[in-house]
Amino acid sequence: MSFPMNSVDNVTVAKSPAEVADRIRSVFGEEAVLEIRERKAGKDDTVGHHDIWAKVEKDRFLDFVDTLAEFDFPQFHVISGNDDGDMVTLYYHFTLFQVAGRGKRLGIAVAVPVDKKDLVMPSIFSRIPGVEYSERETREMFGVDFDGLPNKALVFLPEEWDESIKPWRRDEAGPSAGDVRELS
Amino acid sequence: MDKKYKVPIGPVHVGLKEPITAWLDLEGERIVGATVRPGAIHRGIEFMARDRNPIQVIYLSERICGICSFSHVTTFLRAVEDAASIPVPPRAQYIRSLVLELERLHSHMLWAGVACYTIGFDSAFHLGMALREKVMDVLEVLSGNRVNYGVATVGGVRWDVTPELAKTVKQMVKYYKQEFTPFYDVVTADPIAKARLRNVGVLTYEEALRHSAVGPTARASGVRCDLRESSPYEAYGDFSVRAVVPQDYYGKAYGDVFDRFLVRVHEVYQSLEIIEKVMAGLPEGDIMWEKNLNKVLAFLKKAEGTGWASIEAPRGDDTHVVHLKGGDENVTWWKVRAPTYANAISWPLMFKNNELADAPLIINSIDPCISCMERMLATDSSTGARKVVTRAELLEKCREKTRRLMQNGGR
Repeated sequence: MSFPMNSVDNVTVAKSPAEVADRIRSVFGEEAVLEIRERKAGKDDTVGHHDIWAKVEKDRFLDFVDTLAEFDFPQFHVISGNDDGDMVTLYYHFTLFQVAGRGKRLGIAVAVPVDKKDLVMPSIFSRIPGVEYSERETREMFGVDFDGLPNKALVFLPEEWDESIKPWRRDEAGPSAGDVRELS
Repeated sequence: MDKKYKVPIGPVHVGLKEPITAWLDLEGERIVGATVRPGAIHRGIEFMARDRNPIQVIYLSERICGICSFSHVTTFLRAVEDAASIPVPPRAQYIRSLVLELERLHSHMLWAGVACYTIGFDSAFHLGMALREKVMDVLEVLSGNRVNYGVATVGGVRWDVTPELAKTVKQMVKYYKQEFTPFYDVVTADPIAKARLRNVGVLTYEEALRHSAVGPTARASGVRCDLRESSPYEAYGDFSVRAVVPQDYYGKAYGDVFDRFLVRVHEVYQSLEIIEKVMAGLPEGDIMWEKNLNKVLAFLKKAEGTGWASIEAPRGDDTHVVHLKGGDENVTWWKVRAPTYANAISWPLMFKNNELADAPLIINSIDPCISCMERMLATDSSTGARKVVTRAELLEKCREKTRRLMQNGGR
């Protein structure tokens, strides 16, 4: 397996955003890379970093994380997302080359649509334990389960929370108007 | 054999930012395992943002945290500016960097002071807090406020650097260059303080990476990560910032509380240098992309896209993700990941094989909210007897260990 399971280290020489994007395209198809965003800073807009926005299907997601790990141990930021009707779209945010020097960081945001008929994602906890709170949060806020996540206890919602209510959903699983108390 | 206990520390003290519960498994005084349970004060801020436009969310994001309020605002704005492709004038970028560094100064000084207080080193605590007042004064001159400065807005900042402020900043830098070193020396050279901080709450390099630790917590474990270096934003695009790691000073990163102290105090010096560079290089020009707020709102209403920003807040990488939908006035969705969210995952590893008396220090060492430990309940599982240990008693326990060390000459 390609994932650096046993010895973890950050690589100190970065690959270019184009190289990483090409590798993603070659494994997951042309349409997998949505955009390479250049971010600049300072007076002359000379230095900054790049973000790659990608999209993969749920069943290819673990392969995607393993593909990132071919380059560097992926620093995990967070899972964001939205209830998009028939789907819950999750965005996983990673960083490659965080120690490879000035302006070398490469942000990777990968969108994974999860069909509401089967709200289960493969967990990446065994690869990156730092994902724990985000997977637990996504589980309680969106109702997306994670296959392989050992601790599925509530993380941010209170113990007495009615777990049938998923706060970030926009359908009948989400909070109804009566569940929301306006304080001002 | 030592008795086994399960001890919860936390969760709550009203009004403070990050109350958290740590369930500690103890054998006698030794911590053998820990489970962390946040969630005591989840305010649903991301949910609230759905009813607000991006300008209104600025003031919501400022209230995520009292200490690093400007970090959250800047990260949120950078995510909005990324989603809507809004440029920020150079002068505004410099002012943002200035306030970010001022915030880092007072945050790190607060932490260093409170760390000393936790081990019973009260004179150093008072020294730290007295030092911190100077930077608070500068923030007050800039914005009129000591917290929640209301400085930034979409595409720029609302307050300019006046000659008066420039003078105050200059005086502050001079003051700290003279006065901060005695504080640093008094703590790092003190054998008792060193004995309390060294080899306590260790997080190894590999653990820090695998558990996605960020900021000074990760750097203390030797990870050379700093978003100001790896992905320069705002004024950091014009000068380089090197990540502060203990191996550059002591040849080795222990990843303990002492290293977390060391990283933060050296970052104070680093921030002073950055502030000098920012003030020296401050470009002339506009401080806003668009002064007319209605035009900004109309532009944001038309904008469509998802924006992502991560910046180096005092506690580490702060990440915000924002989605704007064309034709929609409000923020469609917003995700905030504060640095403690990432660092709290490493707590159970830091607790392992430490003493109960070190638990307050370890919780404090990633720089969350110390008041999480307002009260705790100790249960003797063999008899079912319960005893509430107050915060004062727990603090006394922590200080007693320092006194014991002092009597034994630091051993």
